[in-house]
Amino acid sequence: MAHDQLNPDKARCDAVFSALANPIRRRVLDLLVTSPGMTVKAVASHFDISRIAVMKHLAKLEAAELVLSEKQGRERRLFFNPVPIQQIYDRWTDQYASFWAGHMTDIQSRVESAQTSKEHKRA
Amino acid sequence: MFRIRINGTIDAVWNEITRTDAVIPAFFNTRMHCNALAPGSKIAMRTADGKYTGVVGEILEIDPPRRFVHTFKFTNYDDPPCVVAFDLEQVDGGVVFTLTISDLPEGTKTARQMLQGGVMISKTLKACIETGRPTFGTRMLFQLFKMMAPLSPKKCRSEHWPID
Repeated sequence: MAHDQLNPDKARCDAVFSALANPIRRRVLDLLVTSPGMTVKAVASHFDISRIAVMKHLAKLEAAELVLSEKQGRERRLFFNPVPIQQIYDRWTDQYASFWAGHMTDIQSRVESAQTSKEHKRA
Repeated sequence: MFRIRINGTIDAVWNEITRTDAVIPAFFNTRMHCNALAPGSKIAMRTADGKYTGVVGEILEIDPPRRFVHTFKFTNYDDPPCVVAFDLEQVDGGVVFTLTISDLPEGTKTARQMLQGGVMISKTLKACIETGRPTFGTRMLFQLFKMMAPLSPKKCRSEHWPID
């Protein structure tokens, strides 16, 4: 759509959610998290659908940059890229980091007393 | 493998990941020490005050501003070194930053740290280039690290990890 060209971030975000909105694609990500560097053939062997169908799913995942590939010798190996999911997480949870601000002085005094007791043990 | 898009120039991103004159926020606020940015050179990632060294390695490839590859070993763990490769590509609208980690033995402490660290490095680099500093949550985390530094194990002290 024309307005998405003016907003590539929105287009990329849409691509990520669209890629995740399918159980087969989510299972592909599970496989790659467990076994990074799987070949296309190895991924396809986990599904009843045709290899072509798996490759279409992989294309959607790669367009969303949830899966990256690297040529190793003659084979293309697939890797899960956690960054887009981290960006989704950060978008809605960065404000919870304010938890830290309220607790920093408490943490600081605990660290200082741990340091002091460590020094006492040495003496 | 980790990939993120950064709104900036390839030179700005390259300079940020190879600088030796100040701490690199994207690399957990450590400073890279090395004698020369050339293959074969040893590198050490040390705290700002130079007292502790968290990571050591050797440069394998360097092709400014596109590719930087070096070995990577945590001083705190006995695991063998892995290899980290940074690839930068200028595209319309910015830079595609890719971090590839190889030779990572499964199940080791190093493996776990690298997988967590890769995400942190990617997003912190993006925040630094685009906004000039890490996100609030990350800055809080760095404050925590700073406070915890005096509790680092003795084997991480920089005297044990020279680069000459």
